[in-house]
Amino acid sequence: MPPDPADTNSFLPLPTAVFHILVALADRDRHGYSIMQDVATRTDGKVRLSPGTLYSSIRRMLEGGLVEELRESPDPESQDERRRYYRLTRFGRRVAAAEAKRLSDLLSQARETGLIPKKL
Amino acid sequence: MLPMRIYRTLLRCYPAPFRHEYGAEMAGAFAEQMWEARHRGGWRAETSIWLHTLFDLFMIAPKEHYSVIQQDLRYAFRALGAQPGFAVVAVLSLALGIGANTAIFSLLDSVLLSALPVRDPQSLVILTNPASNGITIGSTRGEREELTYSEFRQLRDLSTVFSGLMACQIEPEPIPVGVDGADAEEIPVQMVSPEYFSTLGVPALLGRTLSADDDPAAPNAVISYAYWQRRFGTRADVLGTRITIRQGVFSIIGVAPVSFFGETVGQRPDIWVPLTFQPVVMPGREWLHEKPGDDKVMWLHVFGRLKPGVRIETAQAAANVTFQQGLAVFYGSAERAKNQWLKLRPAAKGASQIRGQFAEPLATLLVASGLVLLIACANLGNLLLARTTARTREMSVRLALGAGRGRLVRQLLTETMLVAFLGGIAGLGAAWILRAGLLGLVSHSIHLPVAPDIQVLAFVFALTLVAGLMLGLLPALRTMSVNASAGLKEQGRGLTGSAAWLRTGKFVVVGQVALSLPLLVGAGLLVRTFQNLRQADLGYVKERLFLVRVDVQMGGYEEQRRLPVFQRLLERVRAAPGVRGASYSKSGLFLGSRSSGHVEVEGYTRKGEGGVWSVWEHIGPDYFSTLGIPLLLGRQITERDHPSSNRVCVITEAFGKQFFAGRNPLGMHVGRYEIVGVARDSRNRSLRDEIEPRFYVPAAQAINVPRFITFAVRTVAEPSSVLAGVRRAILSEDPSLPITAAGTLTELVNKQMEHDQLLARLSTAFGVVGLLLAAIGLYGVLSYGVARRTNEIGIRKALGAQHSAVIVMVLRETGLLLLVGLVAGTFLSAAGTQLIASRLYGLAPTDPVAIGVAVAMLAGVALLAAWVPAYRASRVDALVALRYE
Repeated sequence: MPPDPADTNSFLPLPTAVFHILVALADRDRHGYSIMQDVATRTDGKVRLSPGTLYSSIRRMLEGGLVEELRESPDPESQDERRRYYRLTRFGRRVAAAEAKRLSDLLSQARETGLIPKKL
Repeated sequence: MLPMRIYRTLLRCYPAPFRHEYGAEMAGAFAEQMWEARHRGGWRAETSIWLHTLFDLFMIAPKEHYSVIQQDLRYAFRALGAQPGFAVVAVLSLALGIGANTAIFSLLDSVLLSALPVRDPQSLVILTNPASNGITIGSTRGEREELTYSEFRQLRDLSTVFSGLMACQIEPEPIPVGVDGADAEEIPVQMVSPEYFSTLGVPALLGRTLSADDDPAAPNAVISYAYWQRRFGTRADVLGTRITIRQGVFSIIGVAPVSFFGETVGQRPDIWVPLTFQPVVMPGREWLHEKPGDDKVMWLHVFGRLKPGVRIETAQAAANVTFQQGLAVFYGSAERAKNQWLKLRPAAKGASQIRGQFAEPLATLLVASGLVLLIACANLGNLLLARTTARTREMSVRLALGAGRGRLVRQLLTETMLVAFLGGIAGLGAAWILRAGLLGLVSHSIHLPVAPDIQVLAFVFALTLVAGLMLGLLPALRTMSVNASAGLKEQGRGLTGSAAWLRTGKFVVVGQVALSLPLLVGAGLLVRTFQNLRQADLGYVKERLFLVRVDVQMGGYEEQRRLPVFQRLLERVRAAPGVRGASYSKSGLFLGSRSSGHVEVEGYTRKGEGGVWSVWEHIGPDYFSTLGIPLLLGRQITERDHPSSNRVCVITEAFGKQFFAGRNPLGMHVGRYEIVGVARDSRNRSLRDEIEPRFYVPAAQAINVPRFITFAVRTVAEPSSVLAGVRRAILSEDPSLPITAAGTLTELVNKQMEHDQLLARLSTAFGVVGLLLAAIGLYGVLSYGVARRTNEIGIRKALGAQHSAVIVMVLRETGLLLLVGLVAGTFLSAAGTQLIASRLYGLAPTDPVAIGVAVAMLAGVALLAAWVPAYRASRVDALVALRYE
């Protein structure tokens, strides 16, 4: 059942781990460990997802329809049967965009009030 | 590899569904992380991974569990909502069962189990009898119930085994207390030794407590938190306020903590003053000093705190040495001192006069409420089982779709626990209301904490948990045996289920009937007892009669001035508006006191050791005609029987029967008194005790003129309206005369029946609840049976069976269940009624009326519960029913 578009707001604000996972899946489908690596690389190792946090978030995201599990590995080379790949759904993309807009609005408000300099 | 093994073990902390879904993935990711860390980051990176893993364990795993439970709960709520009837009956059954048990247990807890709210109650001992309820004047033998002030002082000054020793007045009296010249209010005041608070280890909430270092002449008072709140609105400037208690003016030096009620369970003094002020608080009495030859006035409880390491036996031996040395000096004989001794008891729970009285009724009620809970649980078990059976198909479908059996069991347990939890919450509400009602029923003079405490909440929680688990296990176990394909095969039938369940259900119903019968029989017996007590013949009319006790000694009247004041008071009382007649006696009626002892009866040779024992009473003129007690022989005592005339007495029928069997008592003597009349027996003190031999002597001719007298006033109308006028009449003679007791006879007699009334009401309530629950159980089982047999009934009707024949068929089944239940119940009742045999009045435990009514009620309600399914069965349409095949 496709989620109601109006529901995007009900997911906000997204937990940090969830947003990171959405970002990691934005450019391509990934398996769990690949998501962990991507997040660590992008943040210079400042954010490290542990397996528990990762899969607990994925479970919720699957339930919420933000991601879906692929039936087949997108990487035919891979020998590892265990690996399960996840893909961002259209709805997940919308939720991620909404969260990004929320953060960006917050940032511009902070700039306007002079809390932070206009250009970082 | 060790880290992997540890990680896999830790994974077990996650809920099974999550583990099955993601366990392998997580282990894989963990292994890769570790591999990478080992090659790039070294031990630092590895430690960081382990820390993250621990974080997951404490933060993520509980969250996952919570989410599974949430899902189960959502489903459980939906499942219950789909069958609101079931939910309501189930929750109500449990609420009643748990509520009743909690209320009774919480009362039992306050009366019997709770320790005093003092420091280290376990090291407290009591040197007197904790159940003692008053004052003994004279001499006693054997174990000492109370102590005198001098005896306490000797023990306190000479004992080395106690780190503290204190004495307190056993029965604090309500005394008029005035604050800053405002109108006096009657408040319970207790006299205590200055070591009272320090021995108990109770600090003041505000100000300070009494202390052994105080000047003995300093009129200090400590007040209770309740009085502080009620009278002074918890103002901090209460310290130093002057309060007037009879002839003394005291200054408030402190407020006791909120939880502290004193040392005696059931009492709640509002003011504590030093014992040394006894002559001021109780004028006319001197209870602080004793000389050899005096009567001992034993009026104190003594509590001690054992020094660390001292055993109670050692302390008892040491205390007895001091005690008996004191007695030897007092009596001038070491032999006589040996006749009396102290027995030390642990005093963690304090003293209590009510503990003995309440233990038995409360235990009886706890058994009754336990039975109700048992019936409620049986009912719920039955309902749940029926429901599970009806859901066999659903379970089979879920199993076939791949749900784990563990998951289904967990779901069912969650549902039952939810019902149990809701029942527990509702039960707590019921308990709150019931307990407040119970306290109201018990007595107005007994003070117990109103709110249930942590222990009680824990008790409810345990009850709920046990009930939930026990009941949840039944259907869950059944699910274990459900076969994925079996349930699906039955889909043609409207109702699936097994004959096995029906058998269990019937067995449970028989058990419920069997348990309900003793509840109903017990209730019947107790109700009839209460009725008998209410209608008990006192020997005079108890309506429109009230009593007022005046203590003339406390009012400052010496012996020679008392008789004239009695006479003047009687005239004033008789002249008060609304009074039809009045007289007086010393002890009065149903006020608890009496005089008794050994007397000489002319012409009667006593058998065996000891003299002739009898009760006597000092009375005023026209006592018998005022009360309406008929004279069987001779005349009553009148104004003509004054101090200088011939000494006379009137004996009772029982006295005559015992000592003058077959002889005419008139003209004979009891001691120095000539018998001039024989009155019919009457009850003065107790509704239950055997009537004792008694004789009446004119107060004017008593050897010692009474210190107080109790007026018996007959009124034209409702006595409470006349009471105020009589009070005024008494105070118009002398405003300083203390009125120490007053009440209508009906009130005083009812007070004696409080326990009986409480038992009758509660056992009836429990009986009715038990009956209702049994009826619900019966209805459920029969409805289910009828539904299962719809096609059989259809065939019978197709073959020509009449409506009535079908109804009879169902009712016959009910009759059989009922009969078996009743037979089993009769045995249970025979055993159960022994528990209450000692409380019955005017009937035997085998009272045919009580048993008959119980059986009839049970049978009536059972048949009523059976009628609906029977009627439904008779309406079965043969064609529709056969379509089921």
